[in-house]
Amino acid sequence: MSFCKHSLNLLKSVTSRASYLNRLETRQIKRWVAPTLKALKSRRDKLGPEPEQPRSSFLEWNYDAELFAFGKRLGEEFDRKLLQQALTSREYANLKEFQAQEKGIELSENVHNHELIQEGEKIILKTIKEEYKKHHPEDIVNAVCNYLTTEEMLGSLGKDIGLKDIVLTNEFPVETKTLSNVFKAVVAALEKSSGLEKAEKFVHDFVITQMNGKDVYDIWNPSEPYKYLTNLLNEKGITSIEPRLCNESAKNTILACFQVGLYSNKKLLGIGWGESVQIAKETAALDAIQRIHKTQRKTH
Amino acid sequence: MSNSHLFLKPGFIKVPLQNGVGRYVCQLQRVVLKFCKNHGSSRGMRDFIESDLVNFAMDNPAVVVYLKPRRHRSAVIKAEYLNGDQQWLGCKNFTKEEILKWLNLLVTQSQYHTGTRIRKLWHTDNPSIQGPWTPFTFRDPKLNLASFPNEELAKPQDSNETNHEALIELFKKQKLDDLEQRRAE
Repeated sequence: MSFCKHSLNLLKSVTSRASYLNRLETRQIKRWVAPTLKALKSRRDKLGPEPEQPRSSFLEWNYDAELFAFGKRLGEEFDRKLLQQALTSREYANLKEFQAQEKGIELSENVHNHELIQEGEKIILKTIKEEYKKHHPEDIVNAVCNYLTTEEMLGSLGKDIGLKDIVLTNEFPVETKTLSNVFKAVVAALEKSSGLEKAEKFVHDFVITQMNGKDVYDIWNPSEPYKYLTNLLNEKGITSIEPRLCNESAKNTILACFQVGLYSNKKLLGIGWGESVQIAKETAALDAIQRIHKTQRKTH
Repeated sequence: MSNSHLFLKPGFIKVPLQNGVGRYVCQLQRVVLKFCKNHGSSRGMRDFIESDLVNFAMDNPAVVVYLKPRRHRSAVIKAEYLNGDQQWLGCKNFTKEEILKWLNLLVTQSQYHTGTRIRKLWHTDNPSIQGPWTPFTFRDPKLNLASFPNEELAKPQDSNETNHEALIELFKKQKLDDLEQRRAE
């Protein structure tokens, strides 16, 4: 029916072209466009937002180019095979092997980053320790080490250098743990491809710089500073510490403030404040510890 | 001044990864140039791809460049940053110089800045250098030697002189001055 109508119209237009000329050749948006778009929009709204897709599933994706750019971005020369191994998680490699076996293809090797992770962790820990041992006692070195090698810290580092899209793993979105592991593996891969010195420089530039603007005494928090201080002073041969209440203000109110100084042989070791005498004493102990460390650093 | 900035998301200047403390990492991860092979509005993009793209890619090896021809759609640059930001930039009827200029902007910026209002031109994580104030911070040193109870210190700090007393004091002083002047004469 509609076809007949259409052909009739065509016939008309051919027969009396001159009179139809203006109407037929004006450019306009057809009457069906708006309702169709509206219907499509309402359907899309009904479905809700689309789930996030991995970047590697996009049409414009070239894994080789991504790997090349990754190395260049960090200013490092990676061995291609080692880098890819560092980015491959064990679960992913196992799944690939299983799928290949099902199809009857023999994979040459099951390569994954399990060993690289442990090697990388060793390098990272060693570099941080060596750096902080120069100026700080062991407790602080350990605290900083723990802080810098937490899963969140290394995971966010991995994300920030662009590992999120190029990691080969089964889960999506990629977990922080995987990212942190892959970061360690990348360090190991760098060590194997360009040497230990480059890897240590890499750890310096990316991991240790995270301490920029941070105080080690905010990170290292002894649970009982006064006890720690007495032990520290006992080692030095000082046994008598005398806490004195130096000042107090607004006692028995909500804004109470006490100032406690720790003395030894009439010499001030440290001074601290707090809303109770006990807290002030602990703060003073922390201050004393910092002062002792500072003098140690100067004498070194 | 317009009020349109009220609808922008406020934020501070920030640098991801302590970038530049150790070494500089280009924050642009990849860029997709979308264009049509025969439409006129993509002409600048086609010119850019023909003449400048290889040089651009060589200068910025850290950025992955993808080309995506699409029929009869206008030219577009889609940029992806390391922090996950995605920037979509329409390039209809752009010349190749304009495209290069925009790409250079994308390469040098750290995130998708459009749509954020920078609250201050500086930012610090440690606003206080002196540390927290306590009631003992700027205490008068003479209190160190004072013995208590002390009548001088027990007095209220503001003077108790009333306006009336002050006027009498002024009057007396004036009288004395007059007397001295007469003596001088």
